[in-house]
Amino acid sequence: MISPFETHQSLARRTFLGRLGLGLGTAALAGLSPAKGNTPADPLAPKIPHFAPKAKRVIHLFMTGAPSQLELFDNKPALTSMEGKPLPASVIKGQRYAFIRPDAAVMGPRFQFKKHGQSGAEISEVLPFTASVADELCIIRSMKTEQFNHAPAQLLLQTGFSQPGRPSIGSWALYGLGSETKNLPAFVVLSTGSGISGGSALWSSGFMPSVYAGTRFRNSGDPILHVGNPPGVDAKLQRETLDMAARLNQQRMAIDGDPETASRIAAYEMAFRLQTSAPDLLDFSDESKTTLEEYGCDPKQPTFARGCLMARRMIERGVRMVTIYNEGWDAHSDVVGNHRGNAAKTDRACAALIRDLKSRGLLEDTLVIWGGEFGRTPMVESNPSLGRTQGRDHHPQAFSMWMAGGGVKAGMTHGSTDDLGFHVVDKPVDVFDLQATIMHLLGFDHERLTFSHAGRDFRLTDIHGHVVREILA
Amino acid sequence: MKFAFLLPAILGMFPESTPPDFAGEVRPILAKYCFKCHGPDDGTRKGALRLDLREAAMSPAKSGEKAIVAEHPEQSELIRRLDEQGSARMPPESTRMVLSAGQKETLKRWIASGADYRPHWSFVAPKRPKVPTVKNTDWSKNPIDRFLLSKLESKGIAPAPQADARTLARRLSYDLIGLPPNPDLVDEFARNPSDKAYEKLVDKLLADPRYGERWARPWLDLARYADTNGYEKDRTRTIWPWRDWVVRSLNADIPFDRFTILQIAGDLVPGAGEEGRIATGFHRNTMINEEGGIDPLEFRFHAMTDRVATTGTTWLGLTLGCAQCHTHKYDPVTQAEYYKLMAFLDNAEETSAEILTKEQSTKKDSTLAEIARLEKELPKAFPGDFEKALEAFVIREKPATTAWTVERPILAVSNEPKLRIRADGSLRADGDTTKNDAYDIFFDANTGGVTGIRLEALPDPDLPAGGPGMTWYEGPPGDFFLAEISVEWDGKPVKFVKTSQTFANAWLGGGASDASRAIDGDLQTGWAANGKQGSRSVAVFVPEKPLPPTKSWGIRMNFGRHYAASLGHFRISTTRDTGKVEAGGTTPGAERAILSWPNPMPADRQDLVAYFAQVAPELEKERKKIDELRKTIPSGPATLVMRERAPDNQRTTRIRHRGEYLSPKDPVGPGLPSFLPGMPNGLNSDRLGFARWLVSTENPLTARVVVNRQWAALMGQGIVRTVDDFGLQGELPSNPELLDWLATEFVREGWSLKKLHRLIVTSAAYRQSSAARPGLAVIDPDNRLFARGPRHRLDAEMIRDGALEAAGILSRKMGGPGVFPPQPASVTTDGTYGALAWVPSSGEDRYRRTLYTFAKRTAPFAMAQTFDAPSGEACTARRDRSNTPLQALNLLNDPAQLEASRALAHLLIKTSPSPAGRLNQAFQRVLSRAPEAGESSALLEFVQARTKDFLSKPAQAKALMGLAEKDPIPNEALAEQAAWTSMARLLFNLDETLVKR
Repeated sequence: MISPFETHQSLARRTFLGRLGLGLGTAALAGLSPAKGNTPADPLAPKIPHFAPKAKRVIHLFMTGAPSQLELFDNKPALTSMEGKPLPASVIKGQRYAFIRPDAAVMGPRFQFKKHGQSGAEISEVLPFTASVADELCIIRSMKTEQFNHAPAQLLLQTGFSQPGRPSIGSWALYGLGSETKNLPAFVVLSTGSGISGGSALWSSGFMPSVYAGTRFRNSGDPILHVGNPPGVDAKLQRETLDMAARLNQQRMAIDGDPETASRIAAYEMAFRLQTSAPDLLDFSDESKTTLEEYGCDPKQPTFARGCLMARRMIERGVRMVTIYNEGWDAHSDVVGNHRGNAAKTDRACAALIRDLKSRGLLEDTLVIWGGEFGRTPMVESNPSLGRTQGRDHHPQAFSMWMAGGGVKAGMTHGSTDDLGFHVVDKPVDVFDLQATIMHLLGFDHERLTFSHAGRDFRLTDIHGHVVREILA
Repeated sequence: MKFAFLLPAILGMFPESTPPDFAGEVRPILAKYCFKCHGPDDGTRKGALRLDLREAAMSPAKSGEKAIVAEHPEQSELIRRLDEQGSARMPPESTRMVLSAGQKETLKRWIASGADYRPHWSFVAPKRPKVPTVKNTDWSKNPIDRFLLSKLESKGIAPAPQADARTLARRLSYDLIGLPPNPDLVDEFARNPSDKAYEKLVDKLLADPRYGERWARPWLDLARYADTNGYEKDRTRTIWPWRDWVVRSLNADIPFDRFTILQIAGDLVPGAGEEGRIATGFHRNTMINEEGGIDPLEFRFHAMTDRVATTGTTWLGLTLGCAQCHTHKYDPVTQAEYYKLMAFLDNAEETSAEILTKEQSTKKDSTLAEIARLEKELPKAFPGDFEKALEAFVIREKPATTAWTVERPILAVSNEPKLRIRADGSLRADGDTTKNDAYDIFFDANTGGVTGIRLEALPDPDLPAGGPGMTWYEGPPGDFFLAEISVEWDGKPVKFVKTSQTFANAWLGGGASDASRAIDGDLQTGWAANGKQGSRSVAVFVPEKPLPPTKSWGIRMNFGRHYAASLGHFRISTTRDTGKVEAGGTTPGAERAILSWPNPMPADRQDLVAYFAQVAPELEKERKKIDELRKTIPSGPATLVMRERAPDNQRTTRIRHRGEYLSPKDPVGPGLPSFLPGMPNGLNSDRLGFARWLVSTENPLTARVVVNRQWAALMGQGIVRTVDDFGLQGELPSNPELLDWLATEFVREGWSLKKLHRLIVTSAAYRQSSAARPGLAVIDPDNRLFARGPRHRLDAEMIRDGALEAAGILSRKMGGPGVFPPQPASVTTDGTYGALAWVPSSGEDRYRRTLYTFAKRTAPFAMAQTFDAPSGEACTARRDRSNTPLQALNLLNDPAQLEASRALAHLLIKTSPSPAGRLNQAFQRVLSRAPEAGESSALLEFVQARTKDFLSKPAQAKALMGLAEKDPIPNEALAEQAAWTSMARLLFNLDETLVKR
């Protein structure tokens, strides 16, 4: 008969306390090994993917709002000759639009394009810095999606589903790979533009455990919520409070024998480390003036440039996924003014990030992704009742993205659209293909990385997605 | 008893001769490895082989072979294929799935024993099992215990001892009211922890109004409750009256069957009245996408799929969502059946209902009656001779008054809304709208000479904001936008040369809109009258020359902008007047009265009198009084509800190919999946019938699913651990007899949740100590046998509310709109598209229960989200219980948490003079127990050291206490407060504080 009156000390000794000793402090806790004994397995422990990954980290520069491919990467001079005329119905088919009617007139590209680098990539005049790293980029001009509204299209790109509730690609990466840092969150989300349409569902862990969710770094107040001590609490008080809590928690564990208590002690220690590592991450004083200038970064301003530099600092510290949302490209009116403005805010830092990563030897295993959630129409959006002129509407059939580093071919342009920039005509890459490719670069067969929920094995790409092998280095 | 004896039972190894249990052993193997290609889905079936039905599995497949030959595993192709090499092997190599030797053996033994198929356990109605007999007759407090004990005894395990009184009181209090117990109650119980005293405590807590607040939370998780619409704009909505109804209903212990019926179909329940209307808010908790340029019907479809999935999870424990795109791979739900279920829920208008208290309602009625009386008596109040003044008015108006004839259409159709022709010749549209609605209105012969066509946009109390438009989201309620109007007369389009309107204003874009823009051929421009909701606006179109006689004529109207903006109520008139034909403000009756003066029809004269009374300058003072009175009409929140559509305007539900909105296929009517019992006699195939079916005795799932969820909430995990999946992929119940007994008992006791909760918490099983049992760590590490009490982290709400309660500052105020407890402003503004300025509430609203915190979907209340509370974007049956550094940061550093620590410190200092007394009280309030000796000495030392420290750092102490530099306070008192605040903060961060144990 198994007696109900056994003591629990023995259990606790065997598992946690035995290795830990009672005199606590940070040093003692550092040896905490999550995977053994009765301590619950650390869901963020580093894990081995399906095959050797080319990319260990991802920086996603998400240009939300959707930049115009026709003004940046997909030059369509033929549109100029059709300016002011409607597109043939045979081209438009049944496509629904957010604002314009399908008979809206064509608007030619508003910027000049030139070929750049040895690869001869065609890039618009408003992206001179990006053009200067053309030979590092793999430009995909044949992206397409199935959603033509911002929130659903952003959700689709990040979670594989147009409604909230599924894990984001960052969560999939953590679920598959675990974390390489104990001092910072492994999946970080920044916002450097206006508000993000898709909301926090974009970095949610969906039906996965919440430890896989992205952590927002904020632009005002504490970068991570409550990472700073509250008023009146100094480092000494914080440390002494934590030590006393750990001591009492251990006594409790000896009585109740719950391994979750050990996890809680560890979580509090990591919280304390975060309190040190977060300010360290944000302290740009060790960056050279040249670096700051290269990025165009004023450390005091929460700009996209600062976000890019912070992303580099994060991946240096073991962060796995950084997503920078730079919302603001939604040029329903005045595509020229909008894109000049957004290019001016982002172009320089994008190029600086690529160069910086390369010079530090990080580019080869860091994947950088640039792009929006869909493209913009070859047709003009003008609507007197909304005060709009010379804009472009949402266009799901074709848009451009670029990737760099992390196992992607450099100096390459992949796929193409028709003369009107309306449909992809060569080597289409849909959102699921993009996700399959990113997962492949991270070392996963996207069809095999599954999570069981509600009676079903879910995967990021649902039942879709093909790895775009042509762009793999 | 030895381990050697236990192991076979634990590992499921049975002697060769026992045929394996189909439901428990065989089907899980078939479901996992075979059904994906050989299951219920016709669309993906391979080799014409179906293994989920016995007859089909025994018939020759495409290959000609029989997968199963009963009693002959050696002749069964299924068995042969398991060991085949290469492409013939099953499951195929590409799946990377291989059956273990044990699994293969199970299949062989099953076929050898005759390959008996049994229906899935949860699809057969529970039969009330006999309560088992047990050896230890002392332990059991109620039948639950005998079910559990009989299992434990068969495995040679004794139950855990009862938890000590204080631990038990705390567990019970968190479980029943979501808060730590009042220390006096704990003392009282600890002094005499008898069964009777325990039951008294249970009953006290069940009767506490905070019971409803605690139990509303998991229901709100399922209902995906939030105070905003979701998606990009994420605007505020009003549906908290539904949340408050849930709290009230749980406190009143409304039987769960009625609770269900009201929420699915309360609008159709005879006599349910306002309560029934509010209750339908359950399925109005779906999200609404207001992003510019969306297709409203597409997102309505997404809301419908959400409703089906949520209904499946909440009542049936089925993952119905899987059948949206294709027939379910594992459960016998076909795609057509999925859409038939949708059809039950698809026929309601999504609208709102104003909620008034009885007093408000009475006052509203009496005020409206008074206003009507005063308006009628306006002529009497006229200073001077009313009749004379009226006559003068008529004479003045007559030359400018156009003689309009209301044209009664013979037919009116549209692409989407239903157009009804009313007795007064006006048209009323209802049903769904799109952003490109087109109305075609046909008229009979006309004798010609028509010099103008008039469109009256008319109010209607049933339209959003009183009409005239049907806009209910994305744009201003009640708005319309007439993009184009064209008239075909005698087979030819009419050219208009002049237009006029009584009012023009468009929302957004500078308001440039008038009737001329409705005839300019540009669908982007048009006429709107935003700002005149609830009243009549008129546009007049004048043709180039008088129109000739015609046998028939017609009008086409196009509506919509980037939001749906169709007219809901309007009327067409023509005139043959040759004078000035312009839009005017007079009503048709008044017009007729003016034109037929001095002999108007009595009804027209009445209209004229009413009209004149509204415009006569002499009556301005009287009218002002009426206006003032109108302002006193009480108004209530308009909560989101469902309202069944008219029988002649039913929505058509269609199967969607691959679940895609853009691929509509055959229409389907409401119907139930064939594997479940059908509608009991006497129920209609509509929403109400469906609601009643959900809670009918024939339904095998609902009662089991509901009791299992309650069990999981109280005992830490379900008897079926997959609380959201009772289908073939779900886990089997750890104690099927107990589950069925509870389910039948629940129904027998009138679906009373309180009785069910009482039953569970008064069991000996619930009262067990939760401490780990080393002896069970190997046999039952997950406590599947419930051989100890529950121990797990508290929910987000319980953590925050618990701290506020322990600190003595939790507000007892119940209900009302969402409140804004302090949190950093950046949570709802920084990077949030639909930004919301989070202005922290003041007064007691700062410390309300977390249930009442304003729930913003795209940027949820950070503290709750950090502790795994859902965002309200999807139905949640089971929350994660994570244990993260971000949680530690919140509890350690959130200034809002510090407020609770300060309050507790003040309370301790005020009520106990001695440090030991204070510490004791703090422990009692937070942990419901006294500190142990070791804790006491360590913590008193901690307080002492802090006091010393703060004496030398008054500035830091002031900061900790939220005091300004200048605030006068003696140094000693300050240091004392700060030290005890530090102690309280420490206490609120202890593992023990955060767990139910």
